[in-house]
This record gives sequence, C-alpha cells and structure tokens, in this order.
Amino acid sequence: MKRKQIVISTIGTISPLGIDLDQVTAALTAPPRQAVVEAFEFHSFGKPVPCFKITGLDPVTILGKKGLRNKDNATKLLLSAAELGFKTLMEESPEERRPGLCIGTAFGSVQSIGDFLSDSIVNGVNTVNPQAFANTVINAPAGNANIRYLARNLSSTISTGFNSGLDAIIYAFDLLQRGYLEQIIAGGLEEISYYALLGCMRSGILSPSGVVRPFADDSDGIVMGEGCALFLLEPAETAQKRGAVIQAEIAGCANGFDPAPGGGETSDGSVFKQVVQTACAQAEIDPGRIDCVASGGSGNRAGDSLEAAGITAVFGSDTPPVTAYKSFTGECYGASGAIGVLCALADMKKNRISGIPTAPYATTSPLRPVFGGVDATIRHLLVSSFSCDGNCSAIILKKVN
Amino acid sequence: MLFMSKKRVVITGLGLITPIGCGVDTFWQAAVRGENGIRPLRNFDASEHRTKTGGEVLDFNADDYLLKAEQARMGRSGQFVLAATKMALEDARIDLSQCERSRIGVSMGTTMGEPQVLEQCIKIKYAANDAEKIPSTLPRQYPCASIPANIARHFSISGPHIMIPTACAAGNYAIGYAYDMIQLGRIDAAIAGGSDPFSGIAFTGFNRLLATTPDIARPFDKNRSGMAVSEGAGILFVEELDAARRRNAPIYAEIRGYGLGCDAFKMTIPDPSGSGGIIALKKALDHSEVTPDSIDYICAHGTGTIENDKTETVIVKVVFGDRAKAVSMSSIKSMIGHTMGAASAIEAAACALMLKHQIALPTINYTEPDPECDIDCIPNTARSMKLDTIISNAYAFAGNTSSLVLSAFKG
Repeated sequence: MKRKQIVISTIGTISPLGIDLDQVTAALTAPPRQAVVEAFEFHSFGKPVPCFKITGLDPVTILGKKGLRNKDNATKLLLSAAELGFKTLMEESPEERRPGLCIGTAFGSVQSIGDFLSDSIVNGVNTVNPQAFANTVINAPAGNANIRYLARNLSSTISTGFNSGLDAIIYAFDLLQRGYLEQIIAGGLEEISYYALLGCMRSGILSPSGVVRPFADDSDGIVMGEGCALFLLEPAETAQKRGAVIQAEIAGCANGFDPAPGGGETSDGSVFKQVVQTACAQAEIDPGRIDCVASGGSGNRAGDSLEAAGITAVFGSDTPPVTAYKSFTGECYGASGAIGVLCALADMKKNRISGIPTAPYATTSPLRPVFGGVDATIRHLLVSSFSCDGNCSAIILKKVN
Repeated sequence: MLFMSKKRVVITGLGLITPIGCGVDTFWQAAVRGENGIRPLRNFDASEHRTKTGGEVLDFNADDYLLKAEQARMGRSGQFVLAATKMALEDARIDLSQCERSRIGVSMGTTMGEPQVLEQCIKIKYAANDAEKIPSTLPRQYPCASIPANIARHFSISGPHIMIPTACAAGNYAIGYAYDMIQLGRIDAAIAGGSDPFSGIAFTGFNRLLATTPDIARPFDKNRSGMAVSEGAGILFVEELDAARRRNAPIYAEIRGYGLGCDAFKMTIPDPSGSGGIIALKKALDHSEVTPDSIDYICAHGTGTIENDKTETVIVKVVFGDRAKAVSMSSIKSMIGHTMGAASAIEAAACALMLKHQIALPTINYTEPDPECDIDCIPNTARSMKLDTIISNAYAFAGNTSSLVLSAFKG
C-alpha cells in the first residue's frame, strides 16, 4: 500500500535561537548567543563554563503558576515550548483525537536524578522529598506534558544520545505510517544540567576555548547547549483540511548503528551511507538531488570526522553544501537533531543556507563546510547525525509548495 | 484498520535474567513451581530503609557471558541485556553470520538505564570532595542509550537502533516498536526487550512513596502491602514469519499487535477510572483484530500496590464486561517483584512460554480475596489450560499504559 505523505506543520520551540520560527530565522543571521555557567544551586564548578544557555525565560509567564511547584527545569522547558506551539491545537482537539507526544532526550531530567541521589547520599535516604522521585524517570517531562494537555493517545520518550531528537521524529513518522494516530507532536528536549556538564568535563569532551568549530582541524571540543524543538507531524491531507501552514514534508527517514570498534571511530561510513540511502529510497530521490546537508558537526573531532566519513561515503567528491547548526546552538544532545530540523525549516523558507557563523578556518575535512550565509534554492535537505557512539540518523525534508 | 499490509511476526528466541533464575528453563521451572524471588536484600544496604526485601538476581555471573574488558565498559543493566541477548540468539538457533545485519534492529526499554553509575559518580565526588576523582570512563556508562549500543556493537548489528525509556511499561513499547519496524519493512528481525538493575534511586524513591511492601508482594490479595523493587532483563528475538520458516526456527508465539495509551492523570498514581489502561487495551485488541471473547488469559501488570491492582481490575471490567471474571489474570510480579523497565519484557517472554507449554503461571502469596479485585488471579498454583490468545499489560510512572497481544503459533 502507498506510504502516507507526512508533513511538519505547527512548531513549538524554546532555545537560545528564540521562541518561534521567525526568531530562529533572524538568529541564524546574527552572531551566536553564548552564556556562561558557574554554578547550579549548591554545586559549583569554580570557574565559568561557556555554554549556550537559555536566558531570560520565566516559565510562569508562559505557563502560569498553577501546577509548576514540583516541576523541574527540563519539564518546564518542554511545557513552555509545547504551550507556545500547541496550546490552541490541544484545547481544540477532541480528547479521543488529541495528538500523541514523542520526546527525544539523552538524559531526561538528569538534574533531578542527580539531585535526588545527592540528597539521599548527603542527607540520608529518609530525608528526600518523595515528590521529587516522580521527576527522576527519563519519561517524566513527556508524562507531565501529557498530563497538562490531557493527551491520552500516546506518551513516548526516545533516548539515543545525540540522535534522540531525530529518532523521536522517525519513531513518530513510523507510528503515523502504521495508522495508530492521526497527529503526533515529536521533537527533542535537553536541559543544561550540572550533572551533564560534569559528565562531559570528566569525559574530556568540553571545549576549553568555548568556541564551536565544527570540522576544524584544531577544534577542541563541544560547547553544551539546551533547548526544545517540537513539531506536529500529520498526514498532508489532515494538515490541508484544517488549513495548517505546511513547513515541509518528511520525504524519508531512517536510522541505524555503526558498530565499528571504539564507538565507530574507525568507521568507513558505510552504515551511515546505508541509512541515507534508505531515507533517499523512501523519498524516491537519488542522493544527488539533496541540495544541502545539515550535519551534526559539533566540534567534537571524533564525531565530526565520523560524520565527514559518512557524508563522503554517500556523496563521494560531489558533496552538497554542508552546514552545522550546532555552531549557533552548541551541542544540545537529545534536542540537537530536532533543533537542526528547526533551523533547516528556517533556511528552506528563506532559500538560504546558514553556514558556520565565523570567518572560514582551516579544515582538511573533505566536506568543505559552508561559512556565513549563502543564498540557495533548497528542494531537499538532509538533516543527519552520526554520533561517536555509533548512532546514525537521517531525515530528508522536502519543500512543499 | 491499520494502513500498512500485515505481516506475521513471531517470537523465536528468549533470554531471561530474573530473581528466580537466569535462563529460560531455570526461570520457567521456578515460575511453574511458584517460587518466591523476594528475599532480604544481600547486595544492597537497606538498613536505613523502611523495606529490607527485594528481588535481587543472585545467580548472575557476568564472567559466564562477557569478557572482563566488556564488563568494565558497561553497567549492570548492560551486562544483563548482553547476557540475555546471547541466550535469546542461542535459543532462536540463529547464526548471525548468515544474516544481513543491517536488517536486524535493536529495540530496548528501561526506566533509568544505569542509574547506579550516576550514583557511583556522586558518591566518589562526595567521598573525595572533588569531582576530579570521578574516573573519566565512568560517565560514559551512564546514558541509557549505551544499553542497545552494547548489543549492536557486540553482535555487529547495524540496523535501526532505539531506546524507549518509558519507565515500567518500556518493555512493551520496545517490543511493539520492533513489531512495527518489521511491519513497515525496515527490518526482518529484532532483538527487543528491557532491563533495569537494582538501584539506590529506585529503592529509595519507592520507599519514600510508601509504595514498597515490607516483606513480599501479594498482588490482588486483600492484604497486599505494596510492590517489591527488583531487577532483571528480558530479551525476545522476533522476526518475520517467512524468515523464521526459511531457517526452520523454533516458534514460541505470534505477536498479534499492541496498544499504547496514557492516563494523563498523575505522575505516580494511576487514574482510578483506568482511562489510559482502557485506551491501551482497546487499541491492542483493535490493532490485533481480536475480540475480548477470544482472550484466554491476561498477564497483569499486577504490582501489588493497593491502587494499581484495583485500577487494573477496573480496566479489565470495562473492556471485558461480563467476561472479566471468567478471564484468568495472574501477576508474575508476585514471584519476581517489579523489575521496572524489564518487567513487561520478562512478562512477554513468560507469555510466550505459557503459550508454548499451555500452562498459565500463578499469582503466589495469595490468601484472602479482595472484593475490589474480584478476578480469577490463578492463586498460588500454575494451571494447565487452553491458551490461544493472551494479553500482557504494563503501566508506568507518568501514566504510560500498554497492552501486548500474543497468540499461540498456528502455521
């Protein structure tokens, strides 16, 4: 039977790039907005840590005070993005047909998990607040959103590291193809937390310079970011019937895992190639018709070289323009792929490619990444991620006239 | 009616790590005997907790399944899963060298993944008053995505790969998505299941919520006093029927379909009206194209808490109507405790075994009927009975609900 044409219509987002598509579009033409973090409540790093933190956000102004007392930052971030994008849709949808939710996140509320553990270790197991336990499951943010909107048709959480946001969209796409639901809100969420930053520090992957330089020969690591990007996925005819603005079609998508030793560090890119080819086959296009690649390039040299190997394996010497939106947002982990889709939608709408927002730097990468903004007609855009863990994900967005 | 053409998906291999035994045969024999796996804790210091019992896996020896170097790279949850996957692949008599590994998927579920790794990091930090003392390799073991990654890496599997951490319903979600990926033609086969290790955070959290039993789990009993925190892993090898037939694979059961829902009520308490469970159960029946009349048995979520068991009874009564009391429904958590993200995967494996042996497992520790749970819970003794089509329910924190429908395989 024929595959359903699944489109992205409504958007809900909060990130350092802004709170809607227009703000994101504007932010992609401006210098990146970085901040620093020195401490999280009772934890201190003892030094400023550069990151792309959302500043000036007061969830109460978006969500009101009611029901927020026991909600942690990750949940408030998700609820705020959902409220901005989907409040009306949720309120107007009959309960039995209300959209499902599928959220990609690498860590969930790791701040809550770590704080709960710290409290029980430092103060004793009988002093911890039992209400805080509810926030420690990885699906807590999604569940809280289901509760807020009485959304009973689906509550799912996907966790595949950097690829979580893209994989959540792919999962939702598959469930729509199966016909289980008519609409799913899918995307990615990640908070900057003390524990995630500490883990990255101890693993030695944070950039000492605090500058994101994807694919650079001298890149020195990632800068952590946070945010949430959510999309309503639905069949094109459903979107048309309700008069929704269609941002793009998800023409094809696929994922896989490169099991090469050492987390794929010696990969030849063949698994990534297969993943992209599968997505292209779904989209009924040859890879040569991809106009732009929104890569997962982050400044992590191992990850960037993997993705470069993968993209080269797909396109050979005729690589389309490659950008790396993480140069604007930092590494938002589970939200990265979804924020990548968001930036891609902004660029497709404006017929431009927002390249790395710095002066060109030396790179021996075969990809020749785009620097600065360039005008381009984009019909098909590949959003990809090849993490150094081995996860490969690809979504092909198609412009819809 | 679902959109895509319907393929037949079968279960051909099982792997189990549980408090009543590791390995399919050991588990099954203990379960049929009605063995209680809930005991005073040996490997976890519960001296400060209200509850001092739980379900530990005591006969698991990682050396039996993994090289020392592999063990050092992963947490207990990852070790459970890899061991159970080896069992399942052996049970399925599959030779991966003969398979196109990009056509095999990995779909896993968990509640928290490897929370004991984060706990270890935090303990090191506080003991030394210095976060720099945390070994640089330790944080990499924490993300739950490392669990399916360990499987894919060990067996060189390159197909679609996912972790669905939907708490205590995660196993059903993972098995359901594996089924979907086969239906959609993304893969031919999958390693699907769930795992969770015994962790301080889960034990402390459920203790603080006063949800744990002080001694043993008594699902559906009038004197039930809570759930028993436990650990384990369940892995199923599932494949498209034609592929299984081509290699003359042993077939335990057929996956008919599944349904998901959500209470959208409270984070830690089920909706007393059973709203999410009713949605999941109705969807499961609908997607599987079976009617309530054709269901012989329900493998209950049955945690042993007052609220859960009462609500699950409501759900079954709403969906099954007058037949509710006639459908046998037992809880294997009475024997193995609540293994969190592993629970519904272990229960799906148990269902496959029940269909194979035509024996329904019991609810042990049952002494006094509860009028609010007036179901046939197969008290205390396993029952030989006709089992054709059965359901496994799983519910979770955040209101996640799921039901999986399995049938005895009929060529």
